[in-house]
This record gives sequence, structure tokens and C-alpha cells, in this order.
Amino acid sequence: MRHWPLVALVVCAALAAAAPALLDAGWLRLASEVLLMLAMAQMWNLLAGYTGLVSLGHQAFIGIGAYFLFYVSDRFDLHPFALVPLAGVAGAAVAALIAPLLFRLRDAYFSVGIWVFAEIVYVLATKTRELGATSGVPLKSIRLVDVEHFARNSFWISAAVALAAVAGVRRLMRSRLGLGLMAVRDNELAATSIGVDVWRNRLAAFVISAFGCAVAGATQFMGTMFVSPEAAFDVNWVVAMMFIVVIGGIGTLAGPIIGTVLYFALREGFAAWAGVSGSWYLVAMGLVAIAVMRFAPRGLWGWVLERRNARGDRS
Amino acid sequence: MPLLEVDALQVWYGDLQALYGVSLALDEGGVLALIGANGAGKSTLLAALCGLLEGRAAGAVRFDGRAALGRPAEALAREGIALVPEGRMLFPSLSVEENLLMGTLTRRRGPWTLARVYQLFPILEQFRGRPATALSGGQQQMVAVARALLSNPRLLLCDEISLGLAPLVVEQIYAALASIRAEGSGLAIVLVEQDVQRACGVADAVCCLLKGRATLQGRADDFDHAQIARAYFGH
Amino acid sequence: MDWLQTIVNGLMLGGLYGLFGLGLALVFGVMRVVNLAHGEFIVLAAYGGTTLAALLPGVSPLWWVLPVAVAAFGVGYALQALLVNRAVRSGDPLTPLMLTFGLAVVLRNLMVEVFGTNPQALDGGAFTRAGFDLWGLRIALFPLAVLALAAAMFFALQWLLSRTEWGRIVRATSDNFRIVRLMGVQPNHVYNTVMGLALAFAAVAGMLLALRTSFTPYSGVERLLVAFEVVILGGLGSFWGAFAGGMALGVAQLLGQKFDSNAGSLYSHLLFFVVLIVWPTGLARRGR
Repeated sequence: MRHWPLVALVVCAALAAAAPALLDAGWLRLASEVLLMLAMAQMWNLLAGYTGLVSLGHQAFIGIGAYFLFYVSDRFDLHPFALVPLAGVAGAAVAALIAPLLFRLRDAYFSVGIWVFAEIVYVLATKTRELGATSGVPLKSIRLVDVEHFARNSFWISAAVALAAVAGVRRLMRSRLGLGLMAVRDNELAATSIGVDVWRNRLAAFVISAFGCAVAGATQFMGTMFVSPEAAFDVNWVVAMMFIVVIGGIGTLAGPIIGTVLYFALREGFAAWAGVSGSWYLVAMGLVAIAVMRFAPRGLWGWVLERRNARGDRS
Repeated sequence: MPLLEVDALQVWYGDLQALYGVSLALDEGGVLALIGANGAGKSTLLAALCGLLEGRAAGAVRFDGRAALGRPAEALAREGIALVPEGRMLFPSLSVEENLLMGTLTRRRGPWTLARVYQLFPILEQFRGRPATALSGGQQQMVAVARALLSNPRLLLCDEISLGLAPLVVEQIYAALASIRAEGSGLAIVLVEQDVQRACGVADAVCCLLKGRATLQGRADDFDHAQIARAYFGH
Repeated sequence: MDWLQTIVNGLMLGGLYGLFGLGLALVFGVMRVVNLAHGEFIVLAAYGGTTLAALLPGVSPLWWVLPVAVAAFGVGYALQALLVNRAVRSGDPLTPLMLTFGLAVVLRNLMVEVFGTNPQALDGGAFTRAGFDLWGLRIALFPLAVLALAAAMFFALQWLLSRTEWGRIVRATSDNFRIVRLMGVQPNHVYNTVMGLALAFAAVAGMLLALRTSFTPYSGVERLLVAFEVVILGGLGSFWGAFAGGMALGVAQLLGQKFDSNAGSLYSHLLFFVVLIVWPTGLARRGR
């Protein structure tokens, strides 16, 4: 089936369109969360799997996107939906500004450096009274919104974000930029020698992934109608992104999809079964991550691909 | 009984076969020249002998009567097999003397001490405190050989020790090897070399490898130049 | 005078910060492994201390530092032997990173389940509250002792690595894992010992942390960041740079807190960033 990506896109879009009619409010909320988490994971995957930069500070862009939407929509009387893409631009702008600093750092230094950056942004948010300081701020621009259909419309935006993220990464990886990225990831020296501009490629990937996370973050918090620094800049965002990508299969498109399903299955499963405590599912996630790193370092999907390739070579 | 016996040794790296049943023997005090072009399998053979082989092996290697194939390098080092690796492989974080002292970790008893090694290569004593990689190529090679000698081995494996070095320095190192030989301590040496003349000049026996097979074996003086060239190149 | 007092206190706090980074620097320097669970081990040791103190209330917690450190050594050895060695050998730098991150998450959330999120602390008794006056400055005895202990441990580690046979073996293994086997060394065992030592240092730091201030299972993250900043400021291979970095961070933290009461860590983080921009290879000029 040559046109399967297009078919898949249409099917998913159709499902998304139908969902609000089929699911109740609680399930719709969860579905939004799942879709946005998938988008964030794809963005993290773009940076780590395809570009080779492991970011432990991507929660910064989630928070920046969210706060931007909340503040600007209220301050300038703009409909929050309109601000979703603008929040992405805000995230991208910040990424572009700090890239020159952070790109001086390699590997582990980069990972921790961007984490420190995220902490700095977090503390600044807690100190800013206009943004609600430590207690956070509600979505004041809700006054501009059609309240009756807000949940449904937010869901559709989440679905659009997720579809755009997956389709976008797929399209990107087939473009010149994508090939350049993978070349740099695999062998920086060789890539440079064939004329790939390492710096520009990395910058592009970094900015795009920041854009995506900011959009997803803005949508997420818009949907809950409340943002606080602790929630927006929580390191558990990047914990989730990392686990989803690593367990699912880093550097693949299907990996993060599998990982997201597994993540939420674990989370909701533990909540339903163990009842109370939220931390056990994280313990389980951590154990699964350790096991995967130990036995299948390319992730579940990567493992499947390896078996398929191995069998293919025989013929 | 020979000190070293190799019996129909075969080695594979994945699906690629590197050695196709090589056999040889070396007595105490003997010197074997192992020659051949790049990729012939010389380094693979040495790796199999000293326990650093990363491929799959079949056949047998016996050192002093005991099975040695497949045993870890750490154990074989303590039993008296020492390797001077290709490319020297000195430790950049350590000084010359510290590199040498690493050789003494096997705690084997024998004639080689730091003092004796400095006698053999006086220039090293002069540079003992310097970082090992600050020395010239030839001097580094001396450190590598001395480091191996300090473990008081019974079998010394030398992988391309003349590679990339000026002839004068190579002379010095080979002269040192010759003097060791002359002492009659019983140290057996395997010399892997691309410089055939040099190797055959100091060796009793020669073994030539071509694409993983032994194409010529026997006493070094038994073969003339033409025969060796044929075995080396295959035509 | 007030500022001078803050600076002095900051220097002493820096001693503890240096200790946070010492274990991490060791592991990173020798194995190039970033142990993202380092902070959690610091906190785990602190909980080890509080558990022991609860079990045997009559004994001063200061006695627990050594046993907890020894236990930590064992844990580190096992951890490296069972999990980390293989991850390092995989060649992909991401693998140990993800592995230790996974471990951090497991430990952190297990601690939340087992110990709860209420802040805890260790009471070291009169010693931790004593102090004396010197030139108009109040010198608290405990932080001073921590600074001295940190300096001693840094010195000891540096000495061990550069002047002993063990140190030679460690440096050689770090240089060339494969070749060192030719000298009869078992490189896996060397790495196991290094990780054990690193976690022992983390344990000491954790116990001292517990004696100084209160902590929760989430305190590990903050400590990991500090530890990292210490390591990176020191540059690869320089322990003295790390120690100096720790003290600079301590001063920045307390000065920042004095100036802006609830955001002390912001200033130490900013200092870190500024230093990184100006000296990307760290404070120590001698690199490897």
C-alpha cells in the first residue's frame, strides 16, 4: 500500500473528529493528555534520537509555552486558541537565544547544562508576581472562550498537535535537514567533510523541538485552565519523554507511539489497581527502562526491527 | 616439549574467517618471525595467543603444556605471556616510569627489574617522569617493550614494533632484542613484522601467513628471498 | 562584616558541595559515565542515617557515617558489576545515561513510598550547634569540620590516584580498558571498586547533609545539579578545580540568598552558567 501514511493520517483525523461524540469528559481529558505527551515525546526523540542531543531540560519549553499563552492571552485580550502557535514561537525564540551558549557543551555536559537552564527558568517563574509566583495563575482569558465547547475544541487542538508532530517529524526525516541530522548524529566528522553544516542542523532541530514542546505545553495547561511553576517546569515531563522514547525505540517513528501507550497503560493501570499512590507507576517505569537498557538498548520497536532485519539478511 | 604449541587454529569474526587452521610450535629461547601482508591474520594470531581475541576460535593453543586458548588475558599474563601491542598502546595519563611499573603488576619473579630495563634503554631513565606520550615514536616503542619485559615473561609477543619508526631506532630496539637473546634466559619471542629482512635476520624460524593460511614455515635460513616473496604475496 | 560572614559561611557550605561532586567527578573522570542517580544515592544515605538513628536512638548519628559509607561501597560495587559495566561497554553514551536516569527515578519514587515526603533530618547533638568567634565572625564548628573533612577527602583521593599503585591501575584502566588486561589487571573489578568508592563518598556527603539540614526524597535532584556543576566547573580530571568550584557555588548560593531570600540556588546556577560561557573547559587550566 503505497499511500499508507496518507491513509493513516486520514483515519486518525477521522477518529479525532469523532472522539468527542464517543467519549465522556474524563476520557476526553485523558485522550488529550496522551496525544500531547506523544507530541512531546516525538519532539524529544527528534533531538535525542535523530540529532544525538539528550536534553534533560526540555520541561523549560513546556513551561515557557504554557506561561506565554496564559499571560499574553489575558494581557492582550486574545483568544487562547490563537496563542497556541504563538506559544510555540516563544519557545523557539528562547531556544534560538540559548543555543549558542548550550552548544558549547558536549554530551553529558549539554544534558546537565540545559537542566540547569530549566531550573533557572523555574526559579524565575516562581519569583514573578505577574505570573502568579509560586501559586500559579488560572486561565483568565477563558472569558473570551466558548465555554460550552471548550473541552471539545481543546481536544481537537491536542489531536492536531499530535498529528502535526508525528507527520512533521516523518516529513522532516526525509528532507535534507533530516538526512543532515542523521549524518551528524552518526559521525560528526564525516558529515562535516561532506559539507553538512553541523551547527545549523543542530540549531534547527533544537528550535523545532522547542517549538513543538512549547505548543504541546501551552495546549496541555490551557486544557486544565491552570498553570503553576511546579507543574509546568516539573522534571517529570522530561522523565516521561525520555522513558517513552527510550523504551519505545529511540530514533524511530513508531517507538514513541508504543512508548506512549505503555506509559499511560502503566500509569492508569497502577492508579486503578493500586488505588492510591502515584509514585509506584514511576517505579515501574524506571524498572522497565533499566530492563530495556540492559536487554534491548534500542528500545522495544528497535528490538523488533533488529529481529526483522536479521531475518531479512538470511534471504 | 615446546613452550608454545598452536594446533590447527581457526578464528572467525562473525561470519568472516580470519585463520584457516594454522599450526606452529616454538621452543624455549626460540625466536619466530611471523610475517605477512596486512590483513593476513598475524595480529589475530597474536590476539589468540595472549587472550585478547574478540572472535570465535577453534583448535588448540598450549602454553607450557597447559591449554591457553580462550583463557582471559589477565590470567595468561600472570603465567608469563606478554604482548607488545601494535601501536604501542602506552597509557597517556601515566608517566614513562608509571607505564613501566604497570608491567610489574603480574608479580612474576625473574631477571627484569626497573634498573635493568633502564640499563637496556638508558634514554628512558632520563625521561622517567615525563608523560609517556610526550616521547618520540621510537622511545615510546622502547617503553612498550620494556613494559612487557618487566612482567618477566616466558613468551614475548611483538606486534609490528618497527612500524612507523626510523631505521636507526629500529636498529637500537632489535639490538636490544638480540642482546636479550644472547643471554640465553630462555625467553621465547614471536616477532610479527612487515619488514621481512629484519625479522628473518634475528629469527630461528619463520612462518608466513597469507589470507589466514600459513604459506611457508620452517627454519629462517632454509628459504631464499624468492621463496619468501612468493609465500608473502601469493605468486 | 555581615557580607564577610556570609562569604565565610558560603565557603564552608562549599565544602559540602565539593563533597557532593567528588564521587561524581571520580566516576565521570575514570569511566566517562554520568551517574544521574548520584543525587538519589546521597539522599538514600541520608535516609539510611535517619533509619539507623530511629532504630538505635541512644547513639550519636555521627557514628553512622562510616557504616553507611561502607554499605554504600558494597552497593556501588554491585551496581557497577551487574548493570553499569555492560552499559558502558555498549559503546553508546546514551545507554549508561538512560540506565542511571531510570535508576534515579526508581530510587526517588521508592523513597517517596517508603519514607514519605515529609522533611526529615538528623540531630547530631551539641556538636552540630557549637561554634566560636574569630575576628568578629561567628564560625560554626560543624560546617568548618565538614570543610576540613571535604578538603581531606579531596586530598586523599588525589593522592591515591597519583601516588599509589592502585591509582596507577585506575588511571591506566581508564586510558585503555583492553590493554590493561595484558598486565594482569581485571578492568571490570577496577571499575566496580571505583563506583563503590564514588558511592561511599556520596554516602558521607548524604550523612553530612542530613546533619546539616532537612531533606525529602526530592532533594536528590537539587544535589545532583550541584554535584554536576562542581564537576563541570572543575573540568575533567581536576579535583582541586572541583573543590574550588564547590566553594564558589557555596558563596554564590548564600550571597544570593542574603540578597534575594527565596532564590539562593538561582544565583549559584547563574554563576555556573557565567563560568561556563567564559571558560568552557572548566576552572582548571590543566586538562587531559
